[in-house]
Amino acid sequence: MISIRRQLTRKLLGAVLLILIGGLGALYFGAREVATDQFDRTIHAKALAISTLTFQTAEGFRFEFTDRFMRGFDEHKSRDYFQLWEASGREIARSESMPGGANLPRRAGKIDHPAEWNVTLPNGRPGRALGFAFKPKVTDPALHGREKELHLVVVSDREDLDETLWELLALSAGWALLLVSATLWVIPRVLRSGLQPLDELGERAARIDADSLGTRFTLEDLPEELRPIGQRLNDLFGRLEQSFDRERRFSANLAHELRTPLAELRSMAECALKWPESRDPSVDQETLAIAQQMERIVTHILALVRGEEGQLAVTTELTAVGQLVRDTWEGFAARAAERGLNASLQIEETECATDPALLRSILTNLCDNAVGYTPAGGEIVIAVRRRSDRVVITMANSTSDLEEEDLPKLFDRFWRKEAARSGGLHLGLGLSLSRTFAKAMGWEIVAAFDGQNHLVFTLSGLITVAAVNDTAGMLARPSADRPDTLIDQTI
Amino acid sequence: MRVLIVEDSARLQRTLASALRKSNYAVDVAGDGDEGLWMATTHPYDLVVLDIMLPKRDGLSVLAELRRRGHSVHVLLLTARDTIADRVQGLRAGADDYLVKPFALDELLARVEALCRRAYGDKQPDLSVGDLEIDTTARAVRRAGKAVELTAREYQLLEYLAHRRGHIVTRTEIENHIYDGAVDPMSNVVDSAVCNLRKKIGAANASPLIHTRRGQGYILAEASVKTATA
Repeated sequence: MISIRRQLTRKLLGAVLLILIGGLGALYFGAREVATDQFDRTIHAKALAISTLTFQTAEGFRFEFTDRFMRGFDEHKSRDYFQLWEASGREIARSESMPGGANLPRRAGKIDHPAEWNVTLPNGRPGRALGFAFKPKVTDPALHGREKELHLVVVSDREDLDETLWELLALSAGWALLLVSATLWVIPRVLRSGLQPLDELGERAARIDADSLGTRFTLEDLPEELRPIGQRLNDLFGRLEQSFDRERRFSANLAHELRTPLAELRSMAECALKWPESRDPSVDQETLAIAQQMERIVTHILALVRGEEGQLAVTTELTAVGQLVRDTWEGFAARAAERGLNASLQIEETECATDPALLRSILTNLCDNAVGYTPAGGEIVIAVRRRSDRVVITMANSTSDLEEEDLPKLFDRFWRKEAARSGGLHLGLGLSLSRTFAKAMGWEIVAAFDGQNHLVFTLSGLITVAAVNDTAGMLARPSADRPDTLIDQTI
Repeated sequence: MRVLIVEDSARLQRTLASALRKSNYAVDVAGDGDEGLWMATTHPYDLVVLDIMLPKRDGLSVLAELRRRGHSVHVLLLTARDTIADRVQGLRAGADDYLVKPFALDELLARVEALCRRAYGDKQPDLSVGDLEIDTTARAVRRAGKAVELTAREYQLLEYLAHRRGHIVTRTEIENHIYDGAVDPMSNVVDSAVCNLRKKIGAANASPLIHTRRGQGYILAEASVKTATA
């Protein structure tokens, strides 16, 4: 499993170790370079002094080395050596510190850019050599222009330098070890402390289950970087809570809707068994009615599920929407008149490519609701209009018991203003089924109040053929999936 | 015993009423909360079988209103709502029992019987007055050890008098608890039923158990027992 902390620890440790080792290495090598350069400058100064104090005379060469200067080259135990040659290789001088027979390696750089290299001293110790060629000063003006080129090599014991460099190396390594240990100890702790809010967020999120979806993160308590995550989680939990609530409500409602006919069925059967002599012949009719009611519930639920899963077959054809609305209303006009409802139709003839069966099913349900729920003497207005590229069907009816807060629940499955059954006539599935059908057709249905106590359902869809093509994937589905049994039924 | 069923499912209403009538209860029915509340507050029922999800006024509201008005009638909630929270809510609202749909008819009848018994402070299913023994579960009557055959109505009357044994029971009370509101107040149906009952339980032992208090009502008691006014 990927762990941010482990990854960060690994990467940070790698980076810090690299920086430490690189830094200390650079420091060591820099210091070593500086020390060696300083050492070379000292040798160079000695070599320059020798070259300055060397004179060419008519007889040969004269050296004006002071005793103090030569003290370093005098004794056998001295740490400095020099040897001077003519360009031909004839030795003309050597320090007293040089054992007889031993020679220094000869290299000639320029006076201002001498050759520098490591050597092994005649006494076997490590040394640093510097060599260059130069022309000595002449004491006789007659020798001007005839100066001989001399080669000088000066060597110094470098053991002290090496010791210093070793000490520096040991110090650097020690510091590196110490810093690496400190890094290994500090970084995981710093990361643990730094990532604690993330851990807490994770733990709190892990504690949330289906029963505690109401939990929300307090964004003010979260670090700035985690606030967007907290906000998204809050949003997600909100949606999940709504979804769970809806499913719970649906399950409870479904159970409730099935329990009542089951109770009816069971009590009728038990009565018939308990008192067979007084068995009511109408029980059979009642049993059939209950079976039909339960069948309707199952059919509607299946249609809903199919619709929600996009498995509803939609057969699109050119439909005269106005005529369809008139035909549908025809079936409810008598009932509306019985209830003293004042109904009016305002139809603008419009043709539209849609599924007439599904549209009729939606209209049937809307008409049934309007006739069933409009208070006696109330008003129903049905209108069909063309708005740009859309056909808009509105069904408005006066209402007395619906509130603004009921609107979002209208399309919930099994929702009824009054939770009680209406003799099994209304299951509370009609509007959710209507919305599912509308969606399958590529239409939309919304509900709103018009401010004058009228509940207005607005059903609208594109007139163009493009709207048909959107649902083309469903056209080829078998007609067995079509909810034909729902049409003209009260849902 | 008189029972009110408040249930909006017409089929269940009919079936329950039929089952309870066949079990010798006087039964009235109401189809919505308002009607149920009105009936429960205007008639002296021994038990109200109350659905929760009702049109107009839900069952819990009916129950709360009944209790608010001081009615102590026993209430059996009969509903499809089955969660523990629903049951707790119903019982805390003042219900005496709770039964979830779908239910076994025998269980409902047993609960109705137990609640009716409790309405008169009886915990035992067997009632006895002198040598008269009534088994309310089997609905069987014996006098001096001999079985007494009674019609359903006579049994209802005897059981009601037995629940009220030692107390004067008025004609109106008998009408209210034994007949489901279909009795003409001017008829002598109660006197006639009492008369028939007397004859039947007097066959095995002539010693009278049902005594008339002129202008007041009837008492079921041994002759030697001093009676109190209900």
